[in-house]
Amino acid sequence: MIKHIRLFFQGALLSYKALFRWLRPVTYLASKIIMPLNQILFFTFLGMYASGQQNASFYIIGNAVQMAAISGIYGVTMSIGGDRWEGTLPYLFGTPSNRLVLFFGRGFFHILDGFLGVWIGLFLGVILLGLDLSAANFPALLLIILVTTFSTSGLGLLLGCLSLITRNVMFVNNTVYFLLLIFAGANVPIETLPSWMRSISYALPLTRGISTTRAAVAGETGSVIMPVLSQEFLIGLGYMLLGFILFRWFEQAAKRRGTLEAM
Amino acid sequence: MNSIEVEHLKRIYTTTIGVIKRTKKEVVAVDDLSFSIPKGELFGLLGPNGAGKTTTIKMLTTLLIPTAGAARIEGYDIVEDARKVRSSIGFIFGGERGLYWRLSAADNLRYFSSLYFVDPEVSRKRIPYLLELVGLKDRAREKVEGYSRGMKQRLHIARTLLHDPDILFLDEPTIGLDPVGARELRQVVRGLHSEGKTILLTTHYMFEADELCERIAVINKGKLVALDSPQGLKKHVEDMNVLEIEVFGIQQDRIESIRSLPLTNSVSVIDRDQRQLLQIHSPSGSEILPQIMAVLGDQPTGRVALREPTLEDAYVRLVKEEA
Amino acid sequence: MKQRKFRTALGVIFSTFEMTLRQNVIDSFILFTILVQPILIALLAIWMLRDQAANHAIFIVIGSGMTGLWSSLLFVSGNSINVERWIGTLESLVASPSPLPWVILGKNLAHVTQSLVSMILSYFLAALIFNLELDIVNPGVFIGSLMLTIVAFVCFGAIIAPIFVMNPGVQGFQNAMEFPVYILCGFLFPIAMLPEWTTPLSYALSPYWAARALHGTSSGALDLPEVLFSWLMLVLFSVGSALLSAFLFRVMLRKARREATLGLE
Repeated sequence: MIKHIRLFFQGALLSYKALFRWLRPVTYLASKIIMPLNQILFFTFLGMYASGQQNASFYIIGNAVQMAAISGIYGVTMSIGGDRWEGTLPYLFGTPSNRLVLFFGRGFFHILDGFLGVWIGLFLGVILLGLDLSAANFPALLLIILVTTFSTSGLGLLLGCLSLITRNVMFVNNTVYFLLLIFAGANVPIETLPSWMRSISYALPLTRGISTTRAAVAGETGSVIMPVLSQEFLIGLGYMLLGFILFRWFEQAAKRRGTLEAM
Repeated sequence: MNSIEVEHLKRIYTTTIGVIKRTKKEVVAVDDLSFSIPKGELFGLLGPNGAGKTTTIKMLTTLLIPTAGAARIEGYDIVEDARKVRSSIGFIFGGERGLYWRLSAADNLRYFSSLYFVDPEVSRKRIPYLLELVGLKDRAREKVEGYSRGMKQRLHIARTLLHDPDILFLDEPTIGLDPVGARELRQVVRGLHSEGKTILLTTHYMFEADELCERIAVINKGKLVALDSPQGLKKHVEDMNVLEIEVFGIQQDRIESIRSLPLTNSVSVIDRDQRQLLQIHSPSGSEILPQIMAVLGDQPTGRVALREPTLEDAYVRLVKEEA
Repeated sequence: MKQRKFRTALGVIFSTFEMTLRQNVIDSFILFTILVQPILIALLAIWMLRDQAANHAIFIVIGSGMTGLWSSLLFVSGNSINVERWIGTLESLVASPSPLPWVILGKNLAHVTQSLVSMILSYFLAALIFNLELDIVNPGVFIGSLMLTIVAFVCFGAIIAPIFVMNPGVQGFQNAMEFPVYILCGFLFPIAMLPEWTTPLSYALSPYWAARALHGTSSGALDLPEVLFSWLMLVLFSVGSALLSAFLFRVMLRKARREATLGLE
């Protein structure tokens, strides 16, 4: 058990460090503050142009929570894809350690990173755009954001596996991120989407995270939020398991075909 | 006017080490290098790794600005008149880089033709000719990324000849080529030389330098160590002509006779059981051999071997002397 | 002599233009930045602004097209010199008798052209799928604005590229410069929505004047004197950028040749 815990943290820390070792602290900080700021400002202004100044908080919250997807998608897939570039993937596949632990270890630090990102987004919304959190249900908010970063990391793990078979991982990531922007309700009320699009929205992580965050900021109670939030959690879990299955499948396929290095 | 004039060329690289306490480290890559190359000469630059050959070529092809000194190509200064220099020279650095790997060989050549202001009428005929010359005609339409190293090298050669420059800088042109390809390339170089082009060649392969170059500059640690024809350089090691003759029971007076021959530098005798091995050091083994055989007369002899010094011997000696 | 030089310059610019287009067609990063992202933004904007969509469709198409133009300028044109360095062809380019700025102009022209393709695609998307009204009120003046926009962006790209080469740290802020220009230049919403102190910043950016001209001439909101004033600003910015870029290239090349940074060793 201890060995597993140690492995978990080792794997996670290593992947995180390996990923960010080329990122200078200034650039990292810039990306953690400036990028959320930019996106929130742009879409909030656009949203206000579209539906009036009174609806600003709708957009601020939506885009702030979307920050979870940055770490969840980009961070996590880079962790996995990073193996491939670094050439350490064969070693990863070959270790006898519990692969589940290693696999989840990768997502762990990005969950924390995403959690931080959303809070920075909300904070920026408060000080720059006058977001009103006075009525918010803070305990619920904390839980929601944690669950949302978890669920987007699940999506990230699934996409990360795709990164093992294609060189165009950034293309995939960028497209998925933008699709989330459309489908997850950050800038568009889900109810206004046609029903076929709505079904996609509900099959994605982040959607319920955004909607429950809006509810929590409005001061809704746990009894309203929890049922929806648990769905978000389950969805995240589902994506994570799917990702894990895919990871195992690729591992077998690669070993069989001897394409580990070339992958 | 010489085609290429190099005067006291110097190039220092400064690097900073350390993140917190940054110290500057200076590496002198080229140190007070001077030589001239007349028009039409095939000139070689020889030296160990890190001697400064590539740095020198990069300065002469206007890619690096010297720290001190000057150089002129066809009278144009490499720093002040860089554009004029660029029009009259061609160069190969070779290797994997320097080509657009998403384009085909033909597309690469067409693009570089336009960069070198080659008239489209001319390039339309010249490109197929060059592709044929370097043996890439059949694969001209494939993307360069699929080419082997040797093919890329050959494409570099075609590229450098697009604008028919009078002066060529070839940095290790046969590296990475298989023996047949390398031989073909040397043939091409000889052909270009016979057309009257001035060629500055760097190479690691001694026999190549020996075979192709009219004069060779040996550089080590950025300094010029020797500058002479291949023959002249070999004179540095004329004592390395070693004639080895196996004899059976030779008498001392015969050895003294050999020693007294004008062409003999020294004679040593190595005893091997029934036989002795005579080692005669002479500036010209081939000249002295008949004289020695005359001295030996009816002396029974076994194996006769002659080691002539190679350019490699000269080079190793020269480079070691400097170190 | 001058005329011949001009023609050879055009020759180099055009062959670079053609060569760049051919290479970029298969680059997924470029395809996303120049093609996919602007269309996704267009979709999002169309949906968000759907209550006013009928009047705003052309506004959205042009606005999202401009986001594509800017992203392409920032990420693709901005990297144009660095990319040559990474793939190892920069030395070949510098050592050729063609001045490097000509090559970069050709590349920028290719990138801008590719971005315009995405604007055209959004146009058809909006027209065919969403069935929106897409009239351009003043086509002649609109085309004029488009021409000047192309020139201004090509010149702007010629400043960014050498700056990105000389200050590699600046590249880290590429992502940070993408959205602010969307905001400050009024691509998808008027700058009147922003606090007043940002207005001078907007005026200092040539994309602002381009967006102003394009939006104004497509919707007819600007009258002729205002359009001409925007054109004047675009011309001034283009000339200024061209002069500045000539200087920057000279400095950058000297520096690179002195510090041996043309190659990657």
